[in-house]
Amino acid sequence: MEEGAPIEIGEFIQGEGEPATSWLFLVLGFVSSITFLVLYGILYPGNDLPVISSMLPMFEGVFDSGIWFFILGLMVGVFAILGTMLSEVTSE
Amino acid sequence: MALLSIMATFWLTIFVIFVMLNRGIWVFTDVSKSMSMFMLEKALGPAVDFVEGRKGSGAKTWIMHGALWLVPSSFFIFSGLWLAHDPTALNSLSSWGYSPSSEELILAGNLTALHGAIAMLLIGAGMHIVPKLGGTTLASERNATLMSFVWTLSVAIMMVGAHSPQLLGIKVLFIGTMIQSLVVFAVLVNQLLTASSRTRKMPLPAWLIIIGLISYPVAISVVAISGELETGLGQWVLVRMVGGAFFFMQIAGVSLYAASIGTGNQLWSRSLSAVILMGAIFTLNPLGDTTGSIAAGLLGLEQGALETSNTDVIAGSFLMALAAIPIIALSSNILVTMRGDDVFVENPDYPGMPEINLGGLMLIPLGIGALFIQTDSITGTNELAGISGTMLIMVVWLLMIPLSLGPALAIFPEVSGRSLLSNIRSRWAFWMMAGGAFSGLLMTLMADFSDMALLELDPESNLDGISKEIRVIGSVLFYGTVIGSILHCLNIISGTFRGSISGADQSTQSTSINQESFKLTSGTTVRKILASGANLDTEVVPTLQTDRPGSQTEL
Repeated sequence: MEEGAPIEIGEFIQGEGEPATSWLFLVLGFVSSITFLVLYGILYPGNDLPVISSMLPMFEGVFDSGIWFFILGLMVGVFAILGTMLSEVTSE
Repeated sequence: MALLSIMATFWLTIFVIFVMLNRGIWVFTDVSKSMSMFMLEKALGPAVDFVEGRKGSGAKTWIMHGALWLVPSSFFIFSGLWLAHDPTALNSLSSWGYSPSSEELILAGNLTALHGAIAMLLIGAGMHIVPKLGGTTLASERNATLMSFVWTLSVAIMMVGAHSPQLLGIKVLFIGTMIQSLVVFAVLVNQLLTASSRTRKMPLPAWLIIIGLISYPVAISVVAISGELETGLGQWVLVRMVGGAFFFMQIAGVSLYAASIGTGNQLWSRSLSAVILMGAIFTLNPLGDTTGSIAAGLLGLEQGALETSNTDVIAGSFLMALAAIPIIALSSNILVTMRGDDVFVENPDYPGMPEINLGGLMLIPLGIGALFIQTDSITGTNELAGISGTMLIMVVWLLMIPLSLGPALAIFPEVSGRSLLSNIRSRWAFWMMAGGAFSGLLMTLMADFSDMALLELDPESNLDGISKEIRVIGSVLFYGTVIGSILHCLNIISGTFRGSISGADQSTQSTSINQESFKLTSGTTVRKILASGANLDTEVVPTLQTDRPGSQTEL
């Protein structure tokens, strides 16, 4: 741009797009879970979480290495590939 | 003298085949051509009816299989690197009968990367490039498509064999090799039939691909005929010849083609391409494993001890040092072609270009590094044996995979008729894959050097110190290649269905190797266009111009 030339200021334009409902529910679910955990910690301090705390010992000795977090990531990736294949083939 | 006699026989055989192919004195008479076509299609019975024979379907299927193999191969290597510092990490799987060691996982990763990802990407790309440069179509698309599934089966068997070499008394890796040999034969016949129906003189990249394919069975046959297949020297030479001929020549062919087509620049030097072809045949390529264990395993043999005479050591070292010529020639030809008149890569957003640029840059440092390690191994010094494993993985992930995946991505729109879903995702996948491999393996290399130094000081020393910490970081960083592989796969799969359709302009765009058209990406002189081999009938196709203010004017 030439020195001293007037700077064009863009006009403010408002769109009409809205977030997808699925994303809305996902965010609401995430916020609800966090809220529940915080409330549970305040109302029942020191108590184990129901159901989840009784299930976790089942995995002791199984997922005892950090590599399992990475394997979990791989599984997500592999299922994403399979899911993409299926959805692309079946979508119209 | 064993080494020289094997090499002399190999040179002679390849030379005779090359002359026969190039001069048209070939066994493919009309009778044998129709017999071969019958063997490729009708003789397979109902199996061949399961696959489609549309133009480009063979290349597309091979490329997609190759891309899918990137995921398990990167994960096996990651797990192998992890188990190197945490050997009991996967112990909980032993209740399912699976308790792999670090060495087994790395072997599985290398086999799936070399025979699954790299070989399939190269063969797939070759199935597009050879007919394109010959001005013809692939002899049998249906056979090519069907064979990709058989090849994938053989790689899956190899993957099992890397973990359990013998099942029910059967040598699993050997079964995989046998199946793969049948497919190589079918692919070879398919490509030779294609070459025999060429309508114009084929440029050197196509010959690099064809001779690379031929050299695979020729190398095995020559070593077998020489009676050295069960010796350590014979197995070591076989690894060198297959690595230098089958892999290196095909990599050179597809990457030279893609470097030109992706940037729109003319292939820089024809004489350097000829040097690559001759150099790959007449030298021993140091890139690859330092032992013949892979060859022994794949052929179902016991690994022989590497016993060499003085002549073998001198000849071997000399031939490996000479391999620097084709390596430097390939690197410079790729890089200068990609840059054209500029210091930066022209058209860097074209898919596959970053990969080819990375591979081209890594050729010389990795080639020199591999040369030092190989000469250290063949002379029996073994001072650098501690880093040879990591060096092999570096060669695979920083050189061979970029130079096979990059060209495959570059030709994908032409092959499938659609572009990749997202160039941005492709770029992300490149950074994840290249960054993960480079940083992760560099860390692992540092840990290897640390272990070597400690063991030199005290052979009984405990290696659980600093090197273990570095290995943890190295393996975690290498996980980037797994994520990159997944992103590439998703991009390719979605691109096949939803990628923007390649228009007439894109589908007919061609490299300057084929002089029907010349892609103009920046201002140039008529002299330079004519110097690239163009004539008055060559169509000059301007690309990447826009009429936005401040940009080049659209023509």
